[in-house]
Amino acid sequence: MSAALGNAGLLVALIGASVGALSTAMSIIGDNRRALRQAPMYAAVILFGALLAVVAMEWALFARDYSIDFVQRVGSSSTPGLYNLAAMWSALEGSILLWVMVLALFTAAVALRFRRRSDDALVGWALVVMYGVMTFFALVSFGPASPFAPGPTVPVGFDGPGPNPLLQNHVLVLFHPPILYLGYVGFTVPFAFAIAALITGRVGEGWLLETRRWALFAWGFLTVGILLGGWWSYEVLGWSGVWAWDPVENASLLPWLTSTAYIHSVLVQQRRGMLRVWNLSLLVATFALTILGTFLTRSGVVNSVHAFAAGEVDGYLLGFFAIVVLVSLGLIGWRGDMLRAPGRIDSPVSREGAFLANNVIFTLFAFIVLLGTVFPLLVEVFQDRQTVVGAPYFDRLSMPIGIVLLFLMAVAPVLPWRTTSTETLRVRLFWPAWLGAAALGIAVVAGADGFAPLVAFTCGGFAAGSALRQLALATRRQGVAGLVGRANGGMLVHLGVIIIAVALASSNSYTHSATLTARIGETVSWSGHTFEFVGVTSTIDARAEVVSAEVVLDGGKSYAPAVTTYLRQGMTVPTPSVRTGVTHDVYLTIDGNDPPTKDASEVVLRVFLKPLILWLWIGGAVMAIGTVLSAVPSRRHRRATAPTSEDLGVERG
Amino acid sequence: MTRASINTSLKGWAGWAALLFVIVGLLAVGGTRDRGPLDPSDRVDEISRHVACPVCDGESVFESRNPASEAIRAQIRSAVAEGAATDDEILAAVADAYGARVLLVPRSSGFDSLIWVLPATAAVMGIAALSVTFRRWRREAASGLRATPDDYAAVDRARREREANSDG
Repeated sequence: MSAALGNAGLLVALIGASVGALSTAMSIIGDNRRALRQAPMYAAVILFGALLAVVAMEWALFARDYSIDFVQRVGSSSTPGLYNLAAMWSALEGSILLWVMVLALFTAAVALRFRRRSDDALVGWALVVMYGVMTFFALVSFGPASPFAPGPTVPVGFDGPGPNPLLQNHVLVLFHPPILYLGYVGFTVPFAFAIAALITGRVGEGWLLETRRWALFAWGFLTVGILLGGWWSYEVLGWSGVWAWDPVENASLLPWLTSTAYIHSVLVQQRRGMLRVWNLSLLVATFALTILGTFLTRSGVVNSVHAFAAGEVDGYLLGFFAIVVLVSLGLIGWRGDMLRAPGRIDSPVSREGAFLANNVIFTLFAFIVLLGTVFPLLVEVFQDRQTVVGAPYFDRLSMPIGIVLLFLMAVAPVLPWRTTSTETLRVRLFWPAWLGAAALGIAVVAGADGFAPLVAFTCGGFAAGSALRQLALATRRQGVAGLVGRANGGMLVHLGVIIIAVALASSNSYTHSATLTARIGETVSWSGHTFEFVGVTSTIDARAEVVSAEVVLDGGKSYAPAVTTYLRQGMTVPTPSVRTGVTHDVYLTIDGNDPPTKDASEVVLRVFLKPLILWLWIGGAVMAIGTVLSAVPSRRHRRATAPTSEDLGVERG
Repeated sequence: MTRASINTSLKGWAGWAALLFVIVGLLAVGGTRDRGPLDPSDRVDEISRHVACPVCDGESVFESRNPASEAIRAQIRSAVAEGAATDDEILAAVADAYGARVLLVPRSSGFDSLIWVLPATAAVMGIAALSVTFRRWRREAASGLRATPDDYAAVDRARREREANSDG
């Protein structure tokens, strides 16, 4: 029943998308305006189909409909409701279905937003691209990665294993994947408008202005999704880290890096009409990297802790990636002469010069992350041996890049457009630079050591000074209104980034750990903290056995790190217990693989002291707030001004 | 002296020299007292971050709880306890026992060196491209690229069209 409904839903979405793409394209070519006005209707059809499929999937999961293969693999009568809801995206087929759903939402949002302008060729072609992308994902979901495929017949009383234990261990599993997908899939919208601009030849700044907020929205969700992933890792995986440079993490970082470059360099184009090819390339790269990332991590070609399911969709994803890249590059080549923009950047020491430098560094960063991620594949192809490229490689290269970016973040906001004088810089950067010195002083007094982290703190303080200077000037002039708008909201985002950078630099450099062994009732002191080992408790239900060790920390509250053994999978998952603090977290986890028995007389704990971890999440919140504020039009920009390269009606040539 | 003029003179070269002095001094103090890992356990953590778990997917020995990782960690722990070897020597011993493929930082020789050479090349090329572009722009500015009579004619035509349209 649910399988039939779900398949019907996917088929509706597939037909809606493919017919929508074809008929919209034909109406534009045939200049059939009446038909073109119907183009947004297909989005409603697609949304209906996708909703139907998702509801059918959730229905099947909650009804434990074991006629469906997917439910046999991830369903279980013992999975609690919330995790059962999230079970949809705990394996490949359901993840693709989630992608279909999110893409259907974006397609509908675009159709709704531009419904009165669908006879405009730019909007029309953008819809064609959205429908085309939708066709691909609906096809994959209906065909090779069908979540509704029938499973083998199961005996009466069969019960499935439930989702991977790691995915039913923390409530963040409900939020991290959908929010990340809102980011990933959201870049389809600016990509669609970019392609539409190329097709229609309206490569001026109009399409940029239309999609600025869509790109910002996607970028914000990608940022929050990545940070929630770090939080999940910290709370669930038990190795005390937030980022492991795992291929799936890298796959989400790659589009983040290129899109961050894009939302900066797009300002140069809006202001000066330059960098058109470059901005288009960054958008295409961002969209293509989301596809490539999905291919890399879902096809099993790179090993990853996230590879919860490898599937049969490699060929499809790789083919789609190739089509996206070839079509985009072909269009950029075809419109090459229209994209060549007049004008030049007068001085490297100017706002636009700084944006260019920013772009070179972000692109280099993306290149390094991509190289490190696919390098094991290259070695296997050329030398037929196994290698792994891990966190130390990425750490070593990202530290200098991070420092250069912080320095740029300090200097760029005070630079005027076009050109500047030494005196301007000397005056404007004075107090920000002293804030950098103050940050360094505080770090040294607090006992920080090592050259690289200290330089990072200095640059962080310097950059924070520049951002605060800009915000102070804006709020002095305009009051609270000085916090909104592209430039000022952007400075708030910078502050969030700086907080995160400082927190990462210190938690990477100054984490302190120990393995503590103690008898029950004993109190152990280590590194300024006392740990009283109270006892071991155990609870068991149909799903899992939880063994937790109660520890009283510093004579105050008690904490209970645990090891959960999921009975159906026979898999043990550690659950750390964390005391969060302003200066540092105390991260407790039970050491080793075997949980202590209930009447154990001795417990072995791994304890980590992690400085400034709380500030990662605070920085993330600041970034999110800043992103929202920068989407609000500021007073200065509220009246739409014509972009620099607006068509004056002069014939070319 | 007024407040404004104090502010201005502060931001002169003297103020910047003082700033430079403070930063260099603090960096010298903090940078040279690098104590390295606080105790043996931190050193074990640091070394085990550089070794891949030989049987699991994409985790380091530091992260992994697999028995195979446990064994490598024990090897590192005992080497650290003996205290004689450097980090690199301990890593080399682990690589001898489990094969070079467990090293998470690729070596800088042979094919593997590409992973270091390519980013460096890309960085140099990026900087070179930027400086070439800026030099070209500067040359264009210096050569005094002026609008041609055709350009003026085009602007006049556009202006006339616009006026004609607004009249009608």
